[in-house]
Amino acid sequence: MSLFSSAVKKPITTALIFVAIAIFGIFSLITLPIDLFPHIESNSVMVMTSYAGASASDIENNISKPIENTLNSVSYLKHISSASRENVSVVTLEFQYGRDIEDATNDIRDKLEMVKSSLPDGAGSPVIFKFGSDDIPILVLSVTAKESMPGLYKIMDETIVNELARVNGVGSVSVSGIPKREIMVLCDPYKLDAYNLTIESISSLIAAENRNIPAGSLETGSNTYSLRVQKEFNNAREIENLVVGSYNGGNVYLKDVARVVDGLQERSQESYINGHLGGMIIIQKQTGENSVNIVKKVEEELPRLEKKLPSDVKIGVVVDTTDNIVRTIGSLEKTIVITLLIVMLVVFFFLGRWRATIIILITIPISLLASLVYLFATGNTLNMISMSSLSIAIGMVVDAAIVVLENITTHIDNGSNPKQAAVYATNEVAMAVVASSLTTLAVFLPMTLVSGLAGIMFRQLGWMVSIVITVSTLCALALTPMMCSRMLRAKNKDKDSKWYKILFTPINKALDWLSRTYAKILDWALRHKRIVVAIAVAVLAAVGAICGPLLKSEFIPEQDNGRISVTVQLPVGTRQEITRDLALELDRRWRTEFPEIERLGLSEGTADSDNMFASMRSNGSHIISMNISVGSMEKRKRSIKEISNIMMSELAEYNQVRRFNVVAGGQSGGMGGQTVCQIDLYGYDFAATDAAAAQVSQMFKDLGVKQTVISRDDYIPEYQIDLDREKLALYGLNTATVATFLRNRINGAIASEYRESGDEYDIRVRYAPEYRESLKDVENITVYGSQGQAIKLRELGTVVEALTPPTINRKDRERYVSVTAPLPEGMATSDMNEAISQKIEEAGLPAGVSWKIGGTYDDQVSTFQSLGLLMVLIVILVFIVMASQFESLTYPFVIMFAVPFAFVGVLIGLVVTGTPMSIMAMVGAVMTIGIVVNNGIVLVDYANLNRERGMGIIRAVVDSGHSRLRPVLMTTLTTVLGMLPLALGRGEGSEVWRGMGMTVAWGLSVSTLVTLVFVPVLYTIFAAFGLTRSKKKRVKAIAEKEESK
Amino acid sequence: MKAVFIAYNQAHDEAVKEAMEKLFIKGFTMWQQVTGEGSKEGEPHLGSHAWPTLNSALISFMDDDAAKKLKAKLEELDSIKDRLGLRVFIWSIDN
Repeated sequence: MSLFSSAVKKPITTALIFVAIAIFGIFSLITLPIDLFPHIESNSVMVMTSYAGASASDIENNISKPIENTLNSVSYLKHISSASRENVSVVTLEFQYGRDIEDATNDIRDKLEMVKSSLPDGAGSPVIFKFGSDDIPILVLSVTAKESMPGLYKIMDETIVNELARVNGVGSVSVSGIPKREIMVLCDPYKLDAYNLTIESISSLIAAENRNIPAGSLETGSNTYSLRVQKEFNNAREIENLVVGSYNGGNVYLKDVARVVDGLQERSQESYINGHLGGMIIIQKQTGENSVNIVKKVEEELPRLEKKLPSDVKIGVVVDTTDNIVRTIGSLEKTIVITLLIVMLVVFFFLGRWRATIIILITIPISLLASLVYLFATGNTLNMISMSSLSIAIGMVVDAAIVVLENITTHIDNGSNPKQAAVYATNEVAMAVVASSLTTLAVFLPMTLVSGLAGIMFRQLGWMVSIVITVSTLCALALTPMMCSRMLRAKNKDKDSKWYKILFTPINKALDWLSRTYAKILDWALRHKRIVVAIAVAVLAAVGAICGPLLKSEFIPEQDNGRISVTVQLPVGTRQEITRDLALELDRRWRTEFPEIERLGLSEGTADSDNMFASMRSNGSHIISMNISVGSMEKRKRSIKEISNIMMSELAEYNQVRRFNVVAGGQSGGMGGQTVCQIDLYGYDFAATDAAAAQVSQMFKDLGVKQTVISRDDYIPEYQIDLDREKLALYGLNTATVATFLRNRINGAIASEYRESGDEYDIRVRYAPEYRESLKDVENITVYGSQGQAIKLRELGTVVEALTPPTINRKDRERYVSVTAPLPEGMATSDMNEAISQKIEEAGLPAGVSWKIGGTYDDQVSTFQSLGLLMVLIVILVFIVMASQFESLTYPFVIMFAVPFAFVGVLIGLVVTGTPMSIMAMVGAVMTIGIVVNNGIVLVDYANLNRERGMGIIRAVVDSGHSRLRPVLMTTLTTVLGMLPLALGRGEGSEVWRGMGMTVAWGLSVSTLVTLVFVPVLYTIFAAFGLTRSKKKRVKAIAEKEESK
Repeated sequence: MKAVFIAYNQAHDEAVKEAMEKLFIKGFTMWQQVTGEGSKEGEPHLGSHAWPTLNSALISFMDDDAAKKLKAKLEELDSIKDRLGLRVFIWSIDN
């Protein structure tokens, strides 16, 4: 018994099976987490090796090079790059996407074992780090306070940090920009000298005094008492009154030589949020956890925590990486709903029966929900790819059901009992329905096999659409006949209601007129085959020649996520006060100039070493970093690109700014981030590559780029103390002791910890700030020799101003510098690459410097290549499916002519709308192949049927066109109009998928118009050709027979 | 005694069985799926790509009277749904 006959006979079972699928789907929908993209495992591994005291070039030769040479043989390696700077080498291995990173790490570990023995003796063991997108903070909160500022760190630490760290999925919570409490012992060097005291003696004394020591136990009579010395400091005042020495028989108290301040750490990073001084709480997630869920939980937790805080402490959000995700998914949800409504209208418009419309539309939610079960089962997320797959699929899922329903309706109208008609009519079209689903599957299933980045992106799309199509076919073969048998009745024209007549009489008349006109056009075309073919070839050639060169390409479209990050560098060594002034000026200026700005968080100054996140970003007293949030793109007129371009030109006005980097989107490269053009310059000689980099940077600026970033830093100026070893030996000193002396005086020595209500605070002993302001102060530092003799530092050596060489960067085992430029508005990656390449070719580079386009360019090339390969594979598969359906090689060949015209449509669409060819658009083009052939299949199949029923070729074709125009228009319109919300979407994230909707809509529209005329013409040509050939054969056979007689 | 042979579009299946039941005709032999084509008019029922519909065929033996009534009933059915196709043939047999 076939699927559909048992479905019709067991309506309850059938209905409940689909209800069950729907329930599973709804359950999945509720529990599925959301994300921006499918999970992409990080593809890079870092190997860090320290070698204390070695210079950058030593590190390069002795550490980075051997490690690079060994690790170069790890399989699936894409690029190996290294950064060698003083004391440390970092080798980064970038793998091809899809490589199992655990496996790669093991490989690296094995290889490192081999190289270890050849590293210098003093070098540390290489350490492997995996750094991925999971390490980027997902949420940055701002904290502002007035009265509570001095105790803010403690308040934050106790109420917020610990509580938030307990939230499921939160990896680490750190506080930045809020100074910690510290007990500072600020000494007067002259008084120290006068009493023969040193920082070291004071700090060891403080350490010795601040102790609680158990001294055993004492047994008296029947009792045992424990003995303790309990002399830890109870308050900072106690420290002041420590006796640190004696002079002329009198006690010298600490307060005589120093002042003790119970205050806040000096010189830490400062953060301002919308101009208010405050701090930031940085939240990172655990690897593999879902950001949106964590942020939701944190946000649920916050109001509760805020109640515990003093009333002047306010918490806000500076960066929320998930609001863009939530908005993007929200706008996709809207798109899906609009698509659903459009498809519903189209179906109702063509069928004119509400019962039939319901039967068709019910397949949509069921098949979409079924694909959600897949997402849930495989641990995926609702993301941009899976959601847009759903949107794409909506227009296609109804096709099979429409064909089945149409045939059942015909049978019922002919007088069959609905129950039987449902079975027989479905039986008649089952093969055709399965075949046309197979051509669609032939497109989407191969997508699941693509490797690399495209594979990660489109595997989900492939699976989702394949599942949706499979389930919708099952629906069409089981649920649709079942529902038809129950719900459809023979049409009784007299019984039609009034409003039905008013509404549908004109529609039916119009459609009939359209069919007749089309039949006439077709009839004309079939009698003027040569002209039609000539026109088609001319159009193909013309569009190819005109639009081809105008086509632009890019990798992944930039997404307007409402975030801008800005880094401003002043000359190295600029005092924090000056940096702060500039930062606040920029802050004021921008917040008035750009009313779009919702939050502006900035930080400047040197990060605390115990703040992992802040210290990993570049920081220093001369660096300002800003995080700007401008809110949802629907609420503002200017895009982040425009705003950041204005910011760039404004920053260029400041003379004191040495470098700046404005990144629209908060990150460059990667998924939906800022697209940049990067030129890698290879060459050994520093001077030559520096010159080349400056040259290329100028070329970029000539092309309208407002800022360029050169990867190599300048030589950094600093003071070095050049100690004379002979003099040191004279006093029994060595470099290490003198260096420690120096550090303790300037940076300070942590003497001990001050304990108060369970918390520990550093007690730091150092020179008072007024005694460490100038070079002279440094030179006047007193050092004590081995015999206790006091020597000034200037007697031991000289203080010189020197330049530290920058980090040596290498890529693919060669020194390189990269120049990165964000694209000016209206320029696609391909334009920029072409323009800059041409300029470099013309001008030439210094000898010994070679160049290459870097960045995501090679990702783009390899992705486009694999998609191109996929396209060929799909064309072959679609051909195979059609050939087996028709059991002929000619007809599929004829139908395939729709494909080049689909590409013509894609080309016109992209050029007219100025959309660059991105990988999304490319996938759209790939999909079009499978969709465009469906119309051809319907037409050719019916023409064949007519001929089998005895019609002549031309009549068969014209009749096929006349009677099949409605279904062709209907399925095409559901797909094309279903793509429109994607193609025209203006919501968050729409830049990314717009290309896909655009290509399918244009490709399918143009190819449908062509299919309706050109394919029938070709069909007649080939059919006539076949006919004459068989006629000739017959004539020949008869002639031969007669001859043999 | 008459032999009645009915060749009809599958879609008539239920109606034919109902007609027989109403006339209390119990015995029959039936071919669920057969192909066929009318000699004068109507579409062929060949189960092929061009003519996908199929017929059923049924032979039953009954009294003269019952055969007459059945023929009348089925011909009425055919006249209502003339596009589906139904033919009844009767011939006498020895008992």
